Order: sequence, then C-alpha cells, then structure tokens
Amino acid sequence: MATMKHARLLCVLALLACTGSDSTSAKSTGGTLTISTGGDPDVLIPSLVSVVQAAQMTDMIYDRLADIGDDLNIVNDAGFKPHLADHWTWAPDSLSIAFHINPRAKWHDGQRVTSSDVRFTFQSTMDSTLGTPVAALLANIDSVTTPDSATAAFWFHRRIPQQFYDATYQMPIMPEHIWKGIAPSAWRASDAAKHPIGSGRFKFVRWTPRASVELVADTANYYGAPKLSRVVWSIAPDFNAAVTRFLAGETDFFEALRPENIPEVAKHPELATKSFHGLNYQFAQFNLRDPANHARPHPLFGDRELRRALTMAVDRVSIVRSAYDSLALPSIGPTVRAYPTTDPNLAQIPFDLPRAKALLDSLGWRDANGDGVREKKGRPLEFTLDVPGTSKVRVRMAVLMQEQLRQAGVKVNVEQLDFPVLSERERKRTFDAVINAWNTQPSPGAVRGSWGTAGSRASSGNNYGSYESPVFDAYVDSALASFDPAARKALFTKAYNTIIQDAPAIWLAETVPTVGYNKRLELAPLRSDAWWAHIPEWSIRTP
Amino acid sequence: MLRYFARRLGQAAIIVAFVAVISFVLIHIAPGDPFSAVMDNPNVSEVVRQTLRAQYGLDKPLAEQFVRYIGAVAKGDLGWSFSHDRPVLEVLGSALPNTLLLMVIALVGSFALGILIALIQVAKRGTATDHALSGLTLFLFSMPDFWLAILALLAFTYWMPLFPVGGAVDPSMHEYMGLGARIVDRLRHLVLPALTLTVLAAGGVARYQRAALLDVLPADYIRTARLKGLTERQILRRHALRNALLPIISLIGLSFPALLTGAFFIEKIFAWPGMGLAVVSAISSRDYPLVVGGVIIGSIMVTLGSLLADLLYAWADPRLRGH
Repeated sequence: MATMKHARLLCVLALLACTGSDSTSAKSTGGTLTISTGGDPDVLIPSLVSVVQAAQMTDMIYDRLADIGDDLNIVNDAGFKPHLADHWTWAPDSLSIAFHINPRAKWHDGQRVTSSDVRFTFQSTMDSTLGTPVAALLANIDSVTTPDSATAAFWFHRRIPQQFYDATYQMPIMPEHIWKGIAPSAWRASDAAKHPIGSGRFKFVRWTPRASVELVADTANYYGAPKLSRVVWSIAPDFNAAVTRFLAGETDFFEALRPENIPEVAKHPELATKSFHGLNYQFAQFNLRDPANHARPHPLFGDRELRRALTMAVDRVSIVRSAYDSLALPSIGPTVRAYPTTDPNLAQIPFDLPRAKALLDSLGWRDANGDGVREKKGRPLEFTLDVPGTSKVRVRMAVLMQEQLRQAGVKVNVEQLDFPVLSERERKRTFDAVINAWNTQPSPGAVRGSWGTAGSRASSGNNYGSYESPVFDAYVDSALASFDPAARKALFTKAYNTIIQDAPAIWLAETVPTVGYNKRLELAPLRSDAWWAHIPEWSIRTP
Repeated sequence: MLRYFARRLGQAAIIVAFVAVISFVLIHIAPGDPFSAVMDNPNVSEVVRQTLRAQYGLDKPLAEQFVRYIGAVAKGDLGWSFSHDRPVLEVLGSALPNTLLLMVIALVGSFALGILIALIQVAKRGTATDHALSGLTLFLFSMPDFWLAILALLAFTYWMPLFPVGGAVDPSMHEYMGLGARIVDRLRHLVLPALTLTVLAAGGVARYQRAALLDVLPADYIRTARLKGLTERQILRRHALRNALLPIISLIGLSFPALLTGAFFIEKIFAWPGMGLAVVSAISSRDYPLVVGGVIIGSIMVTLGSLLADLLYAWADPRLRGH
C-alpha cells in the first residue's frame, strides 16, 4: 500500500515537472480580476490593434517569441526572456537568428505551435492588403525560413542593434491553421477575429460590445498556468462611470487615474495607487512652416530666437503641477525618462520672464500701442494654439500657457477642437501651434519619424511642425546604429540637446501613469510600455 | 382613417429620407477621417492608407459613395461599421432593444408619474403642496439630462451604494448566474438609467397636465358634476382627467425626440449598451455608416412615435376621424 502511495506521488511529481515552465510555474490562486476600462477593443488581431484595450487583451491571448525585459533594453537580446521560443541561436555574422519553438507550446484549440506559424505571421504582416503599420517596423527582416517544424530562422538585411527587438516585440505569433484560408484584407471582419485563438496564458471567452471582454486562464499552458482564473474588462465609455465602478468596489483595477481621483482613492482603506514611468510625453508644438504656404517659413515660428523667447516665458513646472499635480513631471525633451538612453538631467531653456521679454524686445517685438500685445512691422505677436477639447488637462495647460504668454506680451488664442479635426489639421499642417502628445514604444528610434527631417518631408510623416536639423538627424542615426549602451546614451543626449536648444516645441509634461487597485490584488512590476505585461503573475490574496 | 394613416406614413418616409441625406452629407464633409488612429501612425505607408480607403469605398467621389449607399439602404443594407467591423444593422440590432426598453419604461413611467403629480397639484391647488410640486417639476423640466444622471450615479452607486454603476448586466458574473438571478441582475442595472430618464420627462408631463386640467375645470360639465354632488376626487378622475388627456396624447408624439436624445446621454453616463452609446462613439471615430444608420433608425423611431400619437389622438377625438 505504502509503495502504491509513493508511486502515485512520484507520478504526480513527474507530471508537475512536465507541465510547469522552469521560470514561471506558479501555483494558481484563482479568482477573477475585473478591470475598469473606458472603451471597447477595436480588433483582437495583434498587428491591427490601435487602441490600448485591444493591446492589453491580445497580449494575454497571444505570445511573442521572447519578451522584452522590464528595463526596456532593445540592444541585441540582453534582458529578453524566452517565451514561445525557449532558446535562440545567432548566426556568426549576426544576420540571422534561429528561434527554437518550445516543444510543449500549443494553440488554445490543442494544435501544436510550429515554425510555420512564425513564418506565416511574418508573411501576412508584410502583406500590404492587411494594412498594418507593423509592416514598416519589420522592414529590416528579409524573410523567415523554417529549417524544421520547431525552428524559425529570421534573416535580416543589415546588422543593427535592435534587430532582435524587431523580430520579437512587434510580432505576436498567430496560428496559421486558423488564418491561412482568409484573405488578409478580410481579417478584421472575419469570425476568427471575433473568437481569437492564441497560445497565451489566457484564453478568449467572450466579447460583449460596449459591455465587457472576458478571458479565462489556460490552465494547461506550456508556460505555466496564470495565477488568476479569469480577467474581465468592464467597459464604461464615460470616465466618471469607469472610475466610480472602481471606487464603488465593482472592479479591482483602474488604469488611468486623474489627479482629482487620488484623494478619493485615499478615502478607501481597501484601495491603493501605484505609479510608474510611462512612455508618454506632451508638448506645445510650433509649426515652422507657413500654414498658408508650406514653401515659406512660418511668419512667427520660422525664427528660432522667437521660439526660444516663447519657451523662456513659460513656467513649465507650474503648468505641470497645476494640470497634473503629482501625476506628471516636466518633460525633458522628445523622450521619456524610462528609456535607458535618456539622461534625466538634460539641460533645458530655463523659465526666465525678464530675459524672455528682453529677447523679444531685441528681436523687434515691442508693444508700441500699449494694448498689451507686442507688434513688429504692424503684425501683432499673436497665434492660435489648437488643443483637443476632449482632453481636460491639455485644455488646462493651454489656458495656463495663454496666461503666462500674455504676461510676456504675446496673445494666444486657444482653440478647442474635436480630435479628428485636430488630427486633420496636423496632417495638413494648417495650424500655428498645437498641444500634442506621443505615446512611444520601447525603441527611442521613433523620434526620427516625429522630429526628424524624413518625418517632415514625407507626405505621410508625422513631424507635423516640420522641424528639420541635419545635426539632430545625424546624432539620432548614430545613436541608433551604436551597439555600445554608453555611446548610445551619449549620442542621444547630444541629439536631445540640439532639439531642445532649437525649441521646435515647448516640452510640457511627461505623464506618470498611476493605476488604482484593490489591495486584495498582489501586483507584479508594472512595465513602462505595458503595465499589463505581468498580469499572469498577479494574484489575489486570500484572507 | 386608412387614407389618413397612409398619407402620414408617406410623409414619415419622406422625412426619414430627407434626414438620411442630410446626415450623410454632413458627416462626410465634417473634417476628420475614420482611420485617424491608423493614419496618425508614422509607420503607415501611403500604400496602406490607400488600401484601407479602397477597402471601405472611401476612395470614390462623395456623389458615388452616396448613390451606392442609397442603393444599399433601399435593399435594407445600412452598410459596414468601420469601428465595429460588423454590419451596421447587426450593431444597431443588438443595441436597439436596450434603447427601446429604456424609452418605453421612461415613456410609460413619466406619463404615469406626471399625471399623478398634476392630479395632486390640482386637487390641492393654491396650497403649499401645489407650490412645492410646481417648483419640483420646473426644476426637473429645466435640468440637463447629463447632470441629473451624474448626480444619480454618484448618489445611488457611490455615496449610497444601492445599485450597480452602469452597464446592462454584471460583466463578470452574469453569464454564470441562474435564470432568476439573471433577471434580478438585469433589473438592478435597469433601475437607475430608467428612473433618471423617467423623472426627467415626468416634470414636463406634470406641467402640461396641470395646465390642461386647470383649463377644463371652469367648463359647464364640471360645474354640473359639482351640482350633482360628486366629490372633488370623482370630478377630477371621471370628468376633468378624461377631457384633459387629449393634449397629453399630443405630448407623447413630441416626447419621442426628447426621450431619444435623453436616452443617448443617459446611455453614455450609465454605460447602457444602447443605440445612443454606439452612435455617440461612432461620431467621434467618424464611423460614417454607423452614424447615418443610427440617424435613420432614430428618425424612423421618432416619426413612427409621432404617427402613433396622431392616430391615438384621432381615435380619442371622434371629431378628427373624418379629417
């Protein structure tokens, strides 16, 4: 009898050893995590998502070959953790990487994950009829080959520091057997998109539009079962309703607290907040080209010294404190503090109202008629500042800027716009100045598109202010090409110093994302690019 | 009566067609783009942009898009929602019952409550109760929908947590409940949005009804009833109310647009998954087919509501049947 018991125990131990992942196996504590969120996902296909809710859900359903580390290093594979690929091998010339698929990995419908799924994902992403922005980010990948069913080899055009990041971060792997019969142009509308099958640690259960999305733990997952049994996103499009759901205890987690919510959360002993460095920065961008004729410089902002004077007249610290309280820091340039390549002590154009006034005087902008607004050759120093009316904090920042610039003799007309209208003005570059924000990715390279010459000149570029500096471009390109972390940081610092001194924008705020959660939840670290990345490691404390 | 009905139905069809044309043109000429989120992405190439536009037929001239759209609508197809990636009919079809439920409850509830308040006011006319109720109904009549909704949300879900904070059902538990519990869950979620809309509409009904009752009180037949020795309660209920209901029937028709727009606000604040919520988010995302589809369905509801009120009026007042 005792022998049988020992045999059973050995069997159980053997089974556990077979099913658990080395690094992540964890005992499931069960329970449901309910997240209060402000909107529906747009589509549950990783390469097509454009709203954050969809990214949260697809990241739970689908897996990447390897996961980026919490320090967001993107040079080579340092810090990356194996996931769908349990290991990888670099070619001697580093122009290819062979990813070895975890042999235990299965899709939620029970089929094995193979290397042809990886190749299929790459090929479909590059198909222009799919219409995904991810394709441009994979431009350095020439092809994916499959030497055997467990090996997917990525072949690159050039050796660059972030080629591993490009191959893994941008491309969660999708099941070929589900999607191969559907034309990429029809993916969005397909039934498969409504009932996604992935290999992630949570399985899709249901999506009730304008109400909720529910995922359930994949208890047999090759990477180990998540600690939670279910995750439910409770959708409330009205911000007040969403936050009230959290405060009233109907949900466990709220991702986007505003300053006015913090004291309210503090009144509830069962609730807590947690902040982390995010990847969002906000700025008042000047249009350096004339909105009426893009061939000409802007009559005001074409002048670098005028832009510097305006920057000097704005007290960014007080604006950020008034608009965000403790939920943002003054921005330090077209970057964020979370990047390992960012020096948080970048030199800024300081707030100095007397100097700003003196500089404006020296530029010939004087208030000759005593109406409080400076003029030069009969033209008042006046411009329109566009701002999305739906963003209360951006409107508040615009009004504060308006008042501060008034003290310097500058008239600012704040125009609140519907977001699509604002977006169209930016694309057509028919604005004077605009308060904008960028949500960046772990790669600081996005700065090339949003502030570089290429992004200014391309018809589809998003350097809306048309700032162009060969010096800035050269430093950014050199930084991105460097494999040495210290050299990358030094070169990026030079690039940022260049653009800060050229003042194509007034760098306003870097938000400090602050989540609210019920203390019964035990959170894992919140990653800067995706606070939800470690949800499978979250658990619910038992009383 | 049949000819009258046919004529009114024809008028309703013209109104709906007119509204469809206007809304189609207005939403298409409004600045912005249905693919703003994608278009803003620097990694989207010009080829991808053109592909997306072509997929949804947005690369065609507006006139051609319009002709295609009208052709599809004539066949009962309201187009494809960009933001939901589903047919518009399917999106609105799943949302419409929720909006209708709110509107019907609010319509019945507001008229019942409004008439009751008016009866109390007239029975106690000139007293403090009458003045207090007058003040209350004026307050409700003039109050913005969203303000009362936010106040109700805070009061009854947060300060006094009696009801759930929005939604039509409990998002995490509803699917796992038994039938009885599901019904209770649904009703609990319905109370606040329905009550808010009811209370808002009741203020106007009460004021109309009070005025109508006061109009009929000096009439000869009321005096005769008094001389016959009927109590004030009997006079109000049997004689005054019946005759004073005619203007209220007209008010039913007039209430439909207000209830529909009210429902739109209420749905957003209470996250009630109705048509308003779908259409409001479609406007900001420039989901043209869903906006126009929502406007068409909304105008059909309003014109049919008015038609119903006219028919009720004709039925209630025999003098109109011949006209």
